[in-house]
Amino acid sequence: MGLKNIRAGIVPGVLATLLFLMPRFAFAAGAAPADTTAWWMWVLGLFVFTFLLGIVAVIAGVGGGVLYVPIVSSFFPFHIDFVRGTGLLVALAGALSAGAPLLRKGLANLKLAMSMSLIGSMSSIAGALVGLALPEKTIQLALGGTILGITVIMFLSKNSAYPEITKPDTLSKVLQIYGIYYDENLKKDIDWQVHRTPVGLILFTIIGFMAGMFGLGAGWANVPVFNLVLGAPLRVSVATSVFVLSINDTAAAWVYLHKGAVLPLIAVPSVAGMMLGTKIGAKLLTKVHTSVVRRVVIVLLAVAGLRALLKGFGI
Amino acid sequence: MKQETVHADKVQLAYAGILSKATTLGIILVIIGYVIYVFQLLPLSVPIDQVAGNWGLRASEFHHKIPLATSGWSSFSQAEKGDAFSYITLIYLGTVTMLCLAVSGIAFLREKNMVYTFFSFAQLAVLIMAASGLISGGH
Repeated sequence: MGLKNIRAGIVPGVLATLLFLMPRFAFAAGAAPADTTAWWMWVLGLFVFTFLLGIVAVIAGVGGGVLYVPIVSSFFPFHIDFVRGTGLLVALAGALSAGAPLLRKGLANLKLAMSMSLIGSMSSIAGALVGLALPEKTIQLALGGTILGITVIMFLSKNSAYPEITKPDTLSKVLQIYGIYYDENLKKDIDWQVHRTPVGLILFTIIGFMAGMFGLGAGWANVPVFNLVLGAPLRVSVATSVFVLSINDTAAAWVYLHKGAVLPLIAVPSVAGMMLGTKIGAKLLTKVHTSVVRRVVIVLLAVAGLRALLKGFGI
Repeated sequence: MKQETVHADKVQLAYAGILSKATTLGIILVIIGYVIYVFQLLPLSVPIDQVAGNWGLRASEFHHKIPLATSGWSSFSQAEKGDAFSYITLIYLGTVTMLCLAVSGIAFLREKNMVYTFFSFAQLAVLIMAASGLISGGH
């Protein structure tokens, strides 16, 4: 038991140290002299990297988008504008692929998603416009702070599988936000409803803005808000988050597309690698220790967030 | 033990149907477009080496320096170029959700659910606005 704990702590620790030091002599976009590496090596490296990221993301229970932007912008030579544009497409492609089965099973709820995403998509457009207008250092600082905040949320958050809502709020009744789904664990139908809808709307406005600004998929924030604030069951929250993400990221992605912040050379291998990785990750899900992988992801995020902060400070 | 029952309504099933088909088509198009691009099966607007040599620049500086045909709708005017074609396939991914929203809007209208008919079309309008480039000052 003790040995297990030590091992679980050592793996992320060693990884963190390596990642923190490695870019200084290996990648380091900003610090490196003229890049003499052939373009196809970067592209191939990106594909392999996002493939691995996709596997890790699924096992750790996070969207690939939130890992992609901080890590790729830290360790690859692409400007953060292109990384953010690609990050949105990575998250969007993943959400589009995952969407249909979730809707058919009745796990995702279109009404819950639509009522939150209308305002969220408007704020994600605003976030994208602000993000592309701000100086790079400011973006790195804000990204670093946000990623470190997400790390803390991931570390502390405790989801509630079946929150009990005794009294739905008036707005949720007007918006017909309630439903029923078949729970495979309990082998029975679960009725659900939500409360605190106005608070949810405010939070989704903020989440949309941040997703657009940093090119992050926002599953890390959507799920806790659906689950812990609105009181939707965890499975419904995870599935519905995919749809909010597909709508909000579409809105922000258009801004990046129009601003020329998407390069197919980078975007396609990232999307393909991430999608392939998430499929493999889903198959490995039952065979690996998710808690260790989750710890590794938290460490990865912390390192990437810290590096973004340092870049922002010009260090 | 209860048998699994599906609780998806007609609108959700309609949305899922179009989403599934449009996404599969999108993935195929994106891969085909990329193969055409990197293997240079069509002429390029800018050599790949030149793109790679400048991908560390801000997007605005990049396009100021390099006339790459990958910025908004203007890429359609150079669709015969491999890089523009690959970019257009990515643009297609941005239209999938809009297509689904149009389908859900019509389905809600048929059900006379005016609240979500409004939500579907209002959401579609927001995305069309973003796609038009009017908000972002696109090309």
